[in-house]
Amino acid sequence: MSGSPALPPPEIVLVRYGELALKGGNRRQFEDRLAQNIRDATARISGVRVERRRGRLAVFPERRTEDVAFRLQEVFGIKSVSPAWGSPSEPDAIARCAQPVLVDALAALPPDREVTFRVHTSRGDKLFPLNSIELDRYVAERIMPGLGRLRVRLDDPELALGIDVRAERSYVFVRRLPGPGGLPVGTLGRALCLLSGGIDSPVAAWMSMKRGLHVGFITFHSYPFVGDASKRKVVEVARLLARWQQPESRLFVVPFTEIQTAIRDAAPESYRTVLYRRFMQRIAARVAAENRLAALITGESLGQVASQTLENIACIEAAADAQVLRPLIGFDKEDTVAVARRIGTFDVSSRQEPDCCSVFMPERPVLRGKIEACEAAEAGLDLAGLIDRACAGIETIELDPEA
Amino acid sequence: MTAPFIYLDNAATTPVDPEVREAMRPFLDAEFGNPSSRHRVGQRAAEAVDRARAEVARATGAKAADVVFTSGGTEANNLAVLGSARARRKHGRHVLVGPTEHPCVRESAQALVEEGFEVETLRLDSSGALDLAHLAAALRPDTVLVGLLLVQNEFGSVQPVREVSARVRARSPHAAVHVDAVQAFGKVEVSLRSLGADSIAISAHKVHGPKGSGALVTNGAIPLRPLVFGGGQQGGRRPGTEGVAGIVGLGVSARLAEERRESACASMRRCRDIVAAGIARIPGARVLEPGAPAQAVSPAILAVVIPGAPSEVRMNHLEELGVIVSAGSACHSKTSQVSPSLVAIGLSAADARRMLRFSFSRATTESDASTAGSALEAVCSKLESARK
Repeated sequence: MSGSPALPPPEIVLVRYGELALKGGNRRQFEDRLAQNIRDATARISGVRVERRRGRLAVFPERRTEDVAFRLQEVFGIKSVSPAWGSPSEPDAIARCAQPVLVDALAALPPDREVTFRVHTSRGDKLFPLNSIELDRYVAERIMPGLGRLRVRLDDPELALGIDVRAERSYVFVRRLPGPGGLPVGTLGRALCLLSGGIDSPVAAWMSMKRGLHVGFITFHSYPFVGDASKRKVVEVARLLARWQQPESRLFVVPFTEIQTAIRDAAPESYRTVLYRRFMQRIAARVAAENRLAALITGESLGQVASQTLENIACIEAAADAQVLRPLIGFDKEDTVAVARRIGTFDVSSRQEPDCCSVFMPERPVLRGKIEACEAAEAGLDLAGLIDRACAGIETIELDPEA
Repeated sequence: MTAPFIYLDNAATTPVDPEVREAMRPFLDAEFGNPSSRHRVGQRAAEAVDRARAEVARATGAKAADVVFTSGGTEANNLAVLGSARARRKHGRHVLVGPTEHPCVRESAQALVEEGFEVETLRLDSSGALDLAHLAAALRPDTVLVGLLLVQNEFGSVQPVREVSARVRARSPHAAVHVDAVQAFGKVEVSLRSLGADSIAISAHKVHGPKGSGALVTNGAIPLRPLVFGGGQQGGRRPGTEGVAGIVGLGVSARLAEERRESACASMRRCRDIVAAGIARIPGARVLEPGAPAQAVSPAILAVVIPGAPSEVRMNHLEELGVIVSAGSACHSKTSQVSPSLVAIGLSAADARRMLRFSFSRATTESDASTAGSALEAVCSKLESARK
């Protein structure tokens, strides 16, 4: 629109969080963690300063504010973000600052028709000369004549101009970009997710992160029955997940060939899959304990494959003393796929690569395994030796999510 | 070219020859000019591109002006199939492609269907050789393109391109004969005239050159519609600032491949025989040579089907022993797709999943080959005993 000043880049990002404000006594700790997670997630884009405001955070990037806002849409605990423009804290300056912001937003709406509109002020500075309603009205009256197509509607308008009034500087914004919700990663502790390379386990890991857990990853590799292309696939998936829990994520790759070969040679064929999983459970429990990870996470969902019966899950769980979280237990496959697509792991996960479960796969796996039968099959195995050697051979991969 | 492993996957790619690397180096350093620039810096780059053009022309029997540099074999084949069919559509819309083509020919031909072309696939006879009688019957006055590879990439059979060209000339005066020589170059004679072809695609990285560099050479008679549009470089046939270093690498690697072809073939043949002798000692294993003896097999490729474990498991076990080969077809239990070329030679899905490919280059030594042969025997007996 002619005559309007060009819109400069936004100055800050306003961050709203939901649930964590409800957590009473821990609130300060949650806010500090969220602020740190924001700094970590944006570190490769720009240095940022994070300020706490009543029920919000204000993020001050040194550069590339729009990119920072976009990145924050993937930080758990954030309900929404708004890139915002700064202005001196006086009514006329605020109105002048808001004008090009609205011109810019209007340009993206269908032309030649009315656009419903409101102003909503939130006043942190109670010494400001106008109260919230007065400032709403003042700004609306100043800018609406020049823009023509705006019509005030307080309830569910197409354009809502937000004004955040502070004593030293005030901010205006129109966009509210949704965040992923949930709780800041790390506020609920740390756990270890068993990643298979399939579609389910990455979703289980993501859902656990969403509820505030920082997640380590463990996978089992049966080289040379399974090639390194399969390992790389798990690394790729883990790296996609690591984006959601900056700055550090770790993948433990456990050599599994000796164990699978020993099971093949000593145990009834139909029990192979359950026995593999019992060993995974034991090794994961040990790795978790050694790394102070408080629970195991699996992608198990009842009845999804033949081995996922209540009886078989009981056989697997009995192998080690560990708390096991199964975030997908009530999910249909379509539910899992929908999340996998949303978080971007689906395409990698659905690439066909063999994984260790396909090694020496039984023709007819047992459906209702019995714990006593598992124990009997394992009686001839050197459990401690097999597990010690597998753990000694673990390769630890530090995941760089931006690589 | 010493490596801590024995590399027998040369049909996938080859190590860069040090002579090629040294020839490329200045163009990644001080000689960074744009060949289209009229100043000296640019003109030196243009001269280097011209030298490479002449080298590629000599190695394929073309005129220098008829060499089009591309990003590799895939683009060269796409340009030939799409570019020459589109340029000839006023003569007809009938296209024939070989039964065992690389996807870059098969699928680019398929893309022509949407433009109103009719695409037919040639056949093999019961011996696995190209069915020339079927070809003769399939050729029509409105056939505008016949695309055929010279050496098959999965099992190495040498297709009778010259016989095909003769039949095309007799029956389809408007048809261009395009030859995908990506696997053939440096192993059999690749010459526009001796093949009777209108165009030939080659790729640098299959002959100890760099990846990302290839060429389409033509006999100058066939018009080509470009696939990309831009600043008019290469006569508009493939615009875009030339990748000078890659082109220089292609030129040198093409010259070396042709200069050393006879000695390389003799040495690859000896290596192939050594591995084949090892395979002969494995119970149930059989070497794939479709079309033999009527059709020759490239000395660079040895495909074998071994009963038992999927080929990928065997590949991984060989890798563990330091021998790198290719699993013919992936071993995924679900949705595994067998390549249409393997279907065409009558391989069952089960056998396709048990196919290994050894491929050699002039850098392969006889000692590499005998180590690989022993390693394969060891892996097979280990996997066989594990099954019992």
